[in-house]
Amino acid sequence: MTEWEYHPAPDIDETMAEHLRNFPRQPYMFMYALRSMAALLLRGWMRLYHRLRIDGREHLPASGSFILVCNHTSHLDTLCMLCAMPLNKIHRTFPAAAADYFFSSLPRSAVSAILINALPFDRQVNGAESLTVCSHLLNTEGNVLIIFPEGTRTTTGEMQRFRSGIGRLVVATRLPVVPCYLDGGLKAWPKGKLWPRPYRLHLRIGAPVSYEQLDESSESVRKICHDLQSRVAELGEIAQ
Amino acid sequence: MMTIDLALQSDIYLNYLAIVGGVLGFAGMVLGVMTIFGKDVSSIWRTYRGWLIMIPLVMGTIFLGRTAVIVGVALLAIFGFKEFARATGLYDDWWLTGLVYLGIIALAVASFVTDPRLGYPGWYGLFMSLPAYVAGAILLIPILRNRAKGQLQQVALAVVGFIYFGWMFSHLGFLANTKYAYGYILYLVLAVEINDIAAFTCGKLFGKRKLRENISPNKTIEGSIGAICVSLIIPWLLWFSFPHFEPWHLVLTGLIVGVGGQLGDLVISYIKRDIGIKDMGAVIEGHGGILDRVDSMIFVVPIFFHVVRWVHGIR
Repeated sequence: MTEWEYHPAPDIDETMAEHLRNFPRQPYMFMYALRSMAALLLRGWMRLYHRLRIDGREHLPASGSFILVCNHTSHLDTLCMLCAMPLNKIHRTFPAAAADYFFSSLPRSAVSAILINALPFDRQVNGAESLTVCSHLLNTEGNVLIIFPEGTRTTTGEMQRFRSGIGRLVVATRLPVVPCYLDGGLKAWPKGKLWPRPYRLHLRIGAPVSYEQLDESSESVRKICHDLQSRVAELGEIAQ
Repeated sequence: MMTIDLALQSDIYLNYLAIVGGVLGFAGMVLGVMTIFGKDVSSIWRTYRGWLIMIPLVMGTIFLGRTAVIVGVALLAIFGFKEFARATGLYDDWWLTGLVYLGIIALAVASFVTDPRLGYPGWYGLFMSLPAYVAGAILLIPILRNRAKGQLQQVALAVVGFIYFGWMFSHLGFLANTKYAYGYILYLVLAVEINDIAAFTCGKLFGKRKLRENISPNKTIEGSIGAICVSLIIPWLLWFSFPHFEPWHLVLTGLIVGVGGQLGDLVISYIKRDIGIKDMGAVIEGHGGILDRVDSMIFVVPIFFHVVRWVHGIR
C-alpha cells in the first residue's frame, strides 16, 4: 500500500497573534469570510456616508499583478482603493501598512490582517527587507500591492516627495503601476481625528504605466519616482 | 435542562464551582510557595495560566445554560476539526472542510431543536442519523468536481474528521438536554482532566514499562493503571452529580473515563505521530492546540452518553 503524504500547514505551531502579524499569511476560511463581509459593508458605508465616486475603474488591469500608488492624506485612502478593486480580488490585494502603527497591538493587527489584508511594512528599520517581501508577493501572478510612496499621511494637504522605495520595487519587479489620486480625504479624516466626517470623496484611477524599458540604476529609480509623482499630481488637478 | 436560574439553584453546579475554585486556588498557592523557595516553575506557570483562562470559560458557558453549552461544544468541535484539517493538509480543500463545518453546525442544530415527533428538546433521531447524511455528502464532492486524483485520501480524512471530532465530541452538547445535565457535563469535564493528570503523575512516580512505545513513548503501563484506579474512585466522591446512579453504574462510569480518556489521548498521539508534528496547534499557551486539550474527552463522551441512555434514558 502506498503511504499517504500529509502537508501540514506551515504555521501550525504559531499562536493567534503570530498568525496575524506574520507575513505572508496562510489562507483561512474564516478570515476570507469576514473580509468579504467587511468589504461589502465598507462599500455600502463609503457610498452612503462619503458619497464616494470612483473614476477610471476601467484602467485597472483585468489580470496579472500590478502596483497601485496613491497620495496619502488619511486612512480613507486605503479603504477607497479597496472599494475600487473587484470583490473577487480583495483577498489578493495587499495594502502596505506601517508595521509600527497597524500591527502595534493585537486588536489593531486583527483589523489590519483580517479586514484590510494589510502587508506589515517596516518603514523604520527594515525598509529594504520589507521591499523584498513586497516583490516576493508580487511574483505570484494576480497579487496586487497598494502602496503610498509618500510614506506617511500629509497634514497640510500638500503632496510630499515620493520615497525611492516605489522606484526600487518597480525596477525589481518590472510590473505596471496604476497611479491614483483621492480627493477629499484630508477634509474627511485628518490625521489625529478619531472618526471620519461625512465629506465627499473622489477617487481617480489613471492609466497603468510600464517602466520595462528602464534599467536598474539609481537614475531610473529617481526617474520613476518623479514620473509617478507628477502623474498622481496630474490626476489630482483633474479631480479638483 | 440548564438555565442561569437553574444554575444558581443547582447544588451540583455550585458544588463543582467550589471544587474547581478550591483546586485552582490551592494549586496557585502551591506554585506561589514553590516560586518563593526558588524552584523553577515557569513552565508549570504557563500551564496554570492556561487553566486560569479555560476554567472560567467552561464554568461560565455552563452557567449561561443549554444554548451556550451547545454553541460552545460546536465551536470547540469546529476549531478542533480545523486543527486536524490544518495538520493533515485537508484544509487546502475548502469544499470538504466547509462541508464538515456545516455538518458540525447541523449537529448543534439537532442538539438544540425540539424533537418534532416526541416534543422533547434535542432531536435525537436527527443527531444520530447525521453521520450518514454528512458522510454521504462528503463522498459526493469528488463527483461534483469531476476529480479522482487524491480524492480517496481527502474524503477519508473528512469523514474521520467529521465522525471523530464532530459527531463523537458533539454528544457533549446533546447532554445539555438531559435532566442531570449539570452533573453529567461537569463530571465528565472534571473526571477526564483528573484522569489525564493522574496518568501523568502515576507515570512519573511509578512508570517503568512502556504502554505503546511506537505511539507515545512517554506513557507507561503503570501510569495507565494508576489513572484507571483514580478514575474508579472519582465517581464515588462525585456521587452527588448523579444521585440516581447505583453503585455498579459508578464503577462503569469510572471505567469509561479511565479507559476512554487514555484511548482518546492515544488516538491523537498516533495521528500526530503519523503526520510528524508535536502539537495540533498553539491556541492555548502551555497546552498546545484545542485538540491537545480535549483529546481525552472525545472517546469518553459518546460512550458515557450511550451507556447512560441505555441504563436511565437521556431525558
